[in-house]
Amino acid sequence: MEKYQKLEKVGEGTYGKVYKAKDKATGLLVALKKTRLEMDEEGVPPTALREVSLLQMLSSSIYVVQLLCVEHVDKNGKPLLYLVFEYLDTDLKKFIDSHRKGPNPRPLPPSLIQSYLYQLCKGVAHCHSHGVLHRDLKPQNLLVDKEKGILKIADLGLGRAFTVPLKSYTHEIVTLWYRAPEVLLGSTHYSTAVDMWSVGCIFAEMVRRQALFPGDSEFQQLLHIFRLLGTPTEKQWPGVDSLRDWHVYPQWEPQNLARAVPSLCPDGVDLLSKMLKYDPADRISAKAALDHSYFDSLDKSQF
Amino acid sequence: MEFDLENPLPTSDDLHYDSFTSLFTVESDHMPSKNYTQNLKPTDLYISIRHETLSLILQISHNFDPFLAYLAISYLDRFLPTKSVTKEKPWILKLISVCCVSLALKMRKTEFSLTGIQQDGGFNFDSETIRRMESLILGALKWRMRSITPFSFISFFISLFKFKEPPLRQALKARAIEIIFKAQNEIKLLEFKPSILAASALLSASHELFPMQFLCFRKAISNCPHVNKDNLLSCYNVMQETAMDGYQSALGMVSSSSTPVNVLDLQSSSSSSSEKINPTETNATGSIRLERDLKRRKIDGLRGHNTFQLSQILQC
Repeated sequence: MEKYQKLEKVGEGTYGKVYKAKDKATGLLVALKKTRLEMDEEGVPPTALREVSLLQMLSSSIYVVQLLCVEHVDKNGKPLLYLVFEYLDTDLKKFIDSHRKGPNPRPLPPSLIQSYLYQLCKGVAHCHSHGVLHRDLKPQNLLVDKEKGILKIADLGLGRAFTVPLKSYTHEIVTLWYRAPEVLLGSTHYSTAVDMWSVGCIFAEMVRRQALFPGDSEFQQLLHIFRLLGTPTEKQWPGVDSLRDWHVYPQWEPQNLARAVPSLCPDGVDLLSKMLKYDPADRISAKAALDHSYFDSLDKSQF
Repeated sequence: MEFDLENPLPTSDDLHYDSFTSLFTVESDHMPSKNYTQNLKPTDLYISIRHETLSLILQISHNFDPFLAYLAISYLDRFLPTKSVTKEKPWILKLISVCCVSLALKMRKTEFSLTGIQQDGGFNFDSETIRRMESLILGALKWRMRSITPFSFISFFISLFKFKEPPLRQALKARAIEIIFKAQNEIKLLEFKPSILAASALLSASHELFPMQFLCFRKAISNCPHVNKDNLLSCYNVMQETAMDGYQSALGMVSSSSTPVNVLDLQSSSSSSSEKINPTETNATGSIRLERDLKRRKIDGLRGHNTFQLSQILQC
């Protein structure tokens, strides 16, 4: 790891520490993710091998943060894996925060929201066409280059190698705000639709500059969703009654979604409502979202 | 999560067109580096080292399906050009072959033990030594272990042929897979992309099995925007030579080269050269050979019905 000069710790990701570092030879900034490898008697652990090679394959899209290389080092006899990613200066959470508070609060420009959402759907479509679910899409996992107006998906794929934790590395509770209702209700066979729910929540958050469903427990999270979208019915979402964690909930009527995102154009509200469909089978796919009329006014040739 | 060579992406559903597009985009990352294939002619030493390591891999992976050995050899072909391996330390070749096989087994999520696979080769490396060599290989291959191989493209190209009868499609696919296994032994074919190898194998197979439709298949493949026609043609020609070798040995003629012509032949020759011959294993190999001989004769019968000349076909 002598090739890199660690500059600062930029975060404690779900799976380990993340450093901003400089490639000494090229001057290029990179993000270093350190992960401890549990070695067994059979050499390099198979799960890490399969996950990292999958990550390597997904990183061929420009809408996914690129894995530049993998360094395997021994530190005092303990094997460590450093994943070296391209560095982007900020993430969507910090970007939204800077528009909500600080010296100059202002809405995000509608054309930027449109462009970021398009890039997000591109990245998600790429992952899904490779058979990979992200499962933890949230503004903190979307890296942004403010100058170039580029958005890329990060923290991909490691979910399975290192098992999805309930608490992160730093014992901070993993956020539930972007979690799809079927996951909250204990469905075990979930699909690509879980990511599209998160995309919908992120879309609304860019417009509102605050989270759409800020629950602090799984139960509260569901109530937040039901209060806005109405308590789901068996007719709307066949099979919902038989999900593992389904209980009898207060009966709320659906509210007008447009009122939750007042500055969003009607096409945008329509797309959002399709991303927030209760029945996962009805929820719009990333690929279909790219063709939605909300993006008609976007210059797609730049992507 | 198990890694299937015919379906390298972790989808459970059938791949759709977009996924293939991305396979075509990244396949070059899964080949021996361009420097090697374009600038360097492999030296005799290189050829002999490759041959020796390849035989070792086949020897220690004979208990698993042939895709496993194929994957391990594909790792070997990407790894060898990056290091200057000499024959002075013969144990290095053994260590490399054990590690290529263990990495392939891990990718395919196969239950195994390092002791078990080493026993078949009579090696005994400790797990620390193996881990170090595995790391070295992973580094050289940039952890791109979810290899895109010719098998990944078979179903895509077959779908272009619009078969109405599944048994015919199955027959074509089975023959193309055999050809791909055999092609791995031919060092001249290493320079071609996996998709080109798959397309050529299918063309060779269709030329044998359905010669009347050959032109139609060739057109379908050539029209595919991801396929470079010149490369396809030169790959096809090299592959035809390899396939012809196959006929000769299968029909009991004297093979023109002393090199075993395919994976199964290699397996039998490496097991007969080792000191301990396991009688059941020899029988198994023998019966596979017999089956292949029968297939070849059937194919030869098919070929007898028409008098297509290779050169004529390629001119149209």
